[in-house]
Amino acid sequence: MKISDINMYSLKRSKAFAIGQSFTILIFGSLLFACSDFVEVDPPKNTLIAETVFEDPATVESTLANLYFDIRERGMVSGTYGIMPALAIYSDEMDYYGLNADLSQFNQHSLSAANNRIQEWWQQAYHLIYGANDIISGVEASKSLTEIEKANFRGQALIIRAYLYSLLVPLFGDVPYVDTTDYLVNNTISRSSRDEIYDHIITDLEHAITLLDGLDISGTERIIPDAHVAQALLARTYVYREEWELARSMATELIEAFQLEPDLDQVFLKESRETIWQLQADPDNFPTNTREAGELIIEAIPGQSYALSESLLAAFEDDDLRYGHWVDSMSNSDNTVTLYYAHKYKAGLDETQSLEYSIVLRLAEQYLIRAEARARSGELAGARADLNMIRSRAGRPNTSATTEPALLEEILEERRLELFTEQGHRWFDLKRTENAGTVLSDIKPGWRETDLLLPIPETELSANPNLLHQNPGY
Amino acid sequence: MTIFSMNTNRISLFLIFYVLFNLFQSETIYAAYHDRLTQSMVQGTVTDTEGIPLAGVSIQVESTNRGTITDIDGTFNIQAGPNDALVFSYVGFTPQNIPIDGREVLMVQMEENIAQLGEVVLNAGYYTVSQKERTGNIATIKAETMEKQPVGNPLAAMQGHLSGVDIVQNTGLPGGGFSIEVRGRNSLSGAVDPLFIVDGVPYGSQSLNAARVSSEIIGEGISPLNAINPNDIESIEVLKDADATAIYGSRGANGVVLITTKKGKSGKTRFDARVSTSMSKVSHFLDLMNTQQYLEIRREGVQNDGLGDLLETSDLDLFWPDIKSWDNNRYTDWQEKLIGGTAYRNNAQLSVSGGGEATQFLVSGGYLKETTVFPGDANYRKATLHTNVNHRSDNGKFKINLSTDYAREDNRLPGADFTLQAYSLEPNAPALYDDEGNVNWENNTWDNPMAALEEKFRAKTHTFISNALVSYEVLPELELRTSMGFTSYRLDTYLTNPSSARNPSFGLTPQSYSNLTSNASQRESWIVEPQLNWKKSWEDFSMNVLLGGSLQQENSQQLVVRGRGFPNNGLIENMAAAQTLEIVSDMDSEYRYSAVFGRVNLNYVNRYILNLTGRRDGSSRFGPGKQFGNFGAVGLAWIFSEEALFGEKSLLSYGKFRASYGTTGSDNIGDYRYLDTYNVSGESYGGTTILEPTGIFNPEFGWETNRKLEAALELGFFNDRLMVNTSWFRNRSSNQLIGIPLAATTGFSELAGNFDAVVENSGIELDLTSVNIRTERFRWSTNFNLTVPRNKLVEFEGLESSALSNTYIVGEPLTIVKLYNALGVNPETGLYEFEDYDGDGNISNPGDLQWVEDLAPALYGGLGNTLTMGNITMNVFFQFKKQQSYNTVRFDATPGFRGNIPVELFDRWQQPGDISPFQRASSGFTSVQDRGYYQERSNAAISDASFLRLRNISIDYKLPTIENGLDINIYLQGQNLWTLTDFKGPDPEQPSSTRLPPLRQLTLGLNFSF
Repeated sequence: MKISDINMYSLKRSKAFAIGQSFTILIFGSLLFACSDFVEVDPPKNTLIAETVFEDPATVESTLANLYFDIRERGMVSGTYGIMPALAIYSDEMDYYGLNADLSQFNQHSLSAANNRIQEWWQQAYHLIYGANDIISGVEASKSLTEIEKANFRGQALIIRAYLYSLLVPLFGDVPYVDTTDYLVNNTISRSSRDEIYDHIITDLEHAITLLDGLDISGTERIIPDAHVAQALLARTYVYREEWELARSMATELIEAFQLEPDLDQVFLKESRETIWQLQADPDNFPTNTREAGELIIEAIPGQSYALSESLLAAFEDDDLRYGHWVDSMSNSDNTVTLYYAHKYKAGLDETQSLEYSIVLRLAEQYLIRAEARARSGELAGARADLNMIRSRAGRPNTSATTEPALLEEILEERRLELFTEQGHRWFDLKRTENAGTVLSDIKPGWRETDLLLPIPETELSANPNLLHQNPGY
Repeated sequence: MTIFSMNTNRISLFLIFYVLFNLFQSETIYAAYHDRLTQSMVQGTVTDTEGIPLAGVSIQVESTNRGTITDIDGTFNIQAGPNDALVFSYVGFTPQNIPIDGREVLMVQMEENIAQLGEVVLNAGYYTVSQKERTGNIATIKAETMEKQPVGNPLAAMQGHLSGVDIVQNTGLPGGGFSIEVRGRNSLSGAVDPLFIVDGVPYGSQSLNAARVSSEIIGEGISPLNAINPNDIESIEVLKDADATAIYGSRGANGVVLITTKKGKSGKTRFDARVSTSMSKVSHFLDLMNTQQYLEIRREGVQNDGLGDLLETSDLDLFWPDIKSWDNNRYTDWQEKLIGGTAYRNNAQLSVSGGGEATQFLVSGGYLKETTVFPGDANYRKATLHTNVNHRSDNGKFKINLSTDYAREDNRLPGADFTLQAYSLEPNAPALYDDEGNVNWENNTWDNPMAALEEKFRAKTHTFISNALVSYEVLPELELRTSMGFTSYRLDTYLTNPSSARNPSFGLTPQSYSNLTSNASQRESWIVEPQLNWKKSWEDFSMNVLLGGSLQQENSQQLVVRGRGFPNNGLIENMAAAQTLEIVSDMDSEYRYSAVFGRVNLNYVNRYILNLTGRRDGSSRFGPGKQFGNFGAVGLAWIFSEEALFGEKSLLSYGKFRASYGTTGSDNIGDYRYLDTYNVSGESYGGTTILEPTGIFNPEFGWETNRKLEAALELGFFNDRLMVNTSWFRNRSSNQLIGIPLAATTGFSELAGNFDAVVENSGIELDLTSVNIRTERFRWSTNFNLTVPRNKLVEFEGLESSALSNTYIVGEPLTIVKLYNALGVNPETGLYEFEDYDGDGNISNPGDLQWVEDLAPALYGGLGNTLTMGNITMNVFFQFKKQQSYNTVRFDATPGFRGNIPVELFDRWQQPGDISPFQRASSGFTSVQDRGYYQERSNAAISDASFLRLRNISIDYKLPTIENGLDINIYLQGQNLWTLTDFKGPDPEQPSSTRLPPLRQLTLGLNFSF
């Protein structure tokens, strides 16, 4: 090896070594440095960080829209697993012919704590309550929202929370009252008494009325709950608590603000003037119209496995226009089987034009609430006048009842005929008037007094030991 | 901050190239100069001991890294100095080191070695290690074993061949998925997928499909691994223990699967062409009732329910059309009709490889078309292209290897799997088509299965995987290396649901009903891994140090759109024609990962080996402060056969004891779970876009930790002709990352978090290979593997009070199911009875769900034999598994319902006093069905599903060479040909009543190469 070679070699070596060293330091240095920043990522485009959601009124509206959408699609009100038709089958409005295990249990009054529908109602109600609570606390903590915006959003969320509890309590009795989003608290929460929860419901609704007073938020379609919605729910709650005077005055507020649709075929259209609150069906998406129509209308035989009961059909007098306008029937090809169904909502799921929304509250109920409240307070003339408003629209003569018990009986019967297959009214009325046993024990062989309360879902009892005891009879 | 660090990385990458390139230039100049001074040409021929020339023998000049390989006639030419030495090596032969001593011609004879352990090099991911010196547990399957199997997915080729690796095929449909578990289930969350690495690039094995598009036909998994052509794979290594997996840190807990694709070899340009045709059929049909038996129990069921009178009322015919309206003498074997077809697969592959000593290349293209056993023209097509270029500089210091794989799959299937209907359609159900060839709805009395042919499912995928590995030897002991990879996976699926697929009596129209759901999803990732490798040998001691870093980013996107209402059904595949569009989901996610890792390997007198590995890594899946974790392992090996005690003549030719202990982790919980977020759901209300709360968030969660312990004994006898490896392992996974179930009052059903639970997987693995006979004319070798796994939930703080209390039991495996205890049919009432554990007089959940059975395999393994006789090679491979599984009772426990059932239910209870395994028939209209419901969830629905399966047999005939260089092989391969089992159900491997079972296949193929 020549000297020059050696020099070149050692030069090459040292150069290579130096470069190798700096290279090494460079990569590992940058790696170590970069590491902690490198693994921090921005949130994906389809999510927003919760804190920022409540700083912008538009995104808060989006969270409230979620609640209304969920009530419509997945909740107890109208969704595929809504309380209708299950409660219509549970009471005497509908007969059931099918094999679905969950609905069979309702039909036979042999409910089990594993019933999927009941579990679904419970889960969805508390999921929505979480959403409402998150909005209530998020809006409270917001730094950017104006006071008016805060009042508006908070008022809406309070109505939703109160509304859900007003369904949970008559269904399940004592239930956990959840008013935070803290899972540590809510995961082990105990049940509150029925009366306590009613107190909360009334407080929330009264608060909502104050917050929303004078705010025009419901739009022409009345798809966003406003102060009137809170009043209507409050009137209904007072009936359940038998506080007649308060029920009367609340109903009066609404009767003064809304008017009945004279034509029965207009009552369930989305433009109906007697609607106090309805849930919008999406004009651009499926279902374009109501889930109720999809559940209740019988389009073919075999099709739906439930139909209006003989006793309900028989309860309509011959002159009752509601029988002609709100009830229809379907026969099989050789006319050997005819089934009757509620035809209040007329636009089926295949109707692509937007005609009807799911109505949660309408004025007719308020007339009947005031009639009942007045009758209970001995104000019989006023009660008769309210009742006759509903009767005359249905083409029926004025009531002839003169005594309080007779009038009350007629009012309840009128509720049955006016509100059939809506929101479980029939079941809740039978229950609150203590008539369920008398009416159901003959037609439901499985009837027991304990059927007045649904079972707490068994998954919940095992997930939260503090719920302690199942409702009696399960 | 993120952007800044990205820049730093780009700059460092650029620098790596710059530095390497500069070095490369200066180095080559010097090397060339130096060579010219001293080298001369040496040539020669290499033969085996019989004097037959050996092609492809690798020859290296000892002092430099220069090398070549022999030609087809065994000759070679190489530049070398007169005082240098040449190293000859060839797989299966003892390497030789021959000094040149100034000669210009060398004749070399190489001696065959049966199992040269030191020669078998295993890919351990960031480094390679010889079979002999490895300290970790690495199972491997080579190309020659995979080539014998006519399969489309690499996981299928691995089934049964590797100890500790349990693979189950999910569906017999082409393009479907597989599930794989390496050493059992470690996690309560059920995330079991190992980390897949293709040529150094992590490859997402999770499917990106949308359930609402594909759940009916192909299930959850459209395996991205389908894109890798098994014929392009050189080897698959599965890393199992801590020593092998700890270097993968937080992603190594479930094992690591390394897929290495084929590379070109230098020498004459070589063409290989393979063509094959397969025929497949369902291997086993269920024994179902015929029409007479079926109608007998149907009528009996109606009578038993007290509804006999109604049967006579024609008004009610619609309740039982099979009894009253349909032809009572008609019979159709629906299994034959719906899943009884033959699926054909045609496969063609052409590859070209070659190159000189500096540069080698391989290009391989494949095409596959596979049909189904269903009626209709469903099919799956796949085109693959694999390329590899390998180059090294003249002085051997700079090396670069580029490999790319591209695959395009196109899967056209009906909207739903026909298997469920094949098992359950009434045997007297009407004809599928009427006389005019229209779908027959028989007066709206049934759902015609052919309607599913109107629904079209299509899945198109594009997969691209590329990797560049550049290395430079800075000093003889020091190598710099950078691996860079990029993968792209695109999946487009859609499902059409035309009104013509529905009973016309519903009055559905294209405008009101027809809908199209499409899923467009994509995943892209890149990775950069710079590494530094330093090795040095002293007299008795050698040391190998690896230091590296890793940066990875993965972005996924998914857009699911549903269009509804089409002017007519002909336009249903065009989303633009839909009247309304609904964005079901529009998601993206980003995952970033960074790590530094290292390895120190110390070897003393080739007897005592210590291997230390470690990794510190961070993952974007965790919140601030929880992103980083440290993992490491220590491995030890003692090659005791090298001790003086064992002489040359010893029966024991090889003996090694090795052990390892270390930690790995799992971040397998999905992205962004630590954030408190609201999601855009894609819906709207009153014109307002909806934001929904994502879930209850927990910023506190961290790694799941998996501690692995292993001890193994590796023995070789009779000059390594018999090798026996036995490993014992115990993996304990703690700090379990799961969705903790919550009470619904929290608003959600679960919370992602770490649970104080420990899951243990332990077991014994046995691997045995043996060369039984080796003569000139006849060779017979055997391999065998056996795994005896045991899974156990060791600890679960607060299990009793949690919502999982009815799913798991401390001390039992995670794979248990809780069942009712079936007491048989009461001879008096004819109803099933069950043990009333809680004594409350009712059979109910959870009080009476107390019987425990385990569904995990008790043992599994495989046995293969290879026989070579002259030009004929035959392989026979058996797979076996001992396990329990759900049987047909799980699906049908009560006779008499509408729908066909297994014929054994005909033996039902009929009158008081009857002793029968099946309860009395019922129409399904009364609550007797509840008893059947419990029976389906009882221990009567579990039975032995052990099997011994002839998974693969292949006969390969090599035509005597016609002319120089032309090789022709003809082969016949069978897959899943024969099964020995007591199992009563579709298939013991995957006992589902709704999915097509794995098929039986016969393949005829031809290979040419020249």
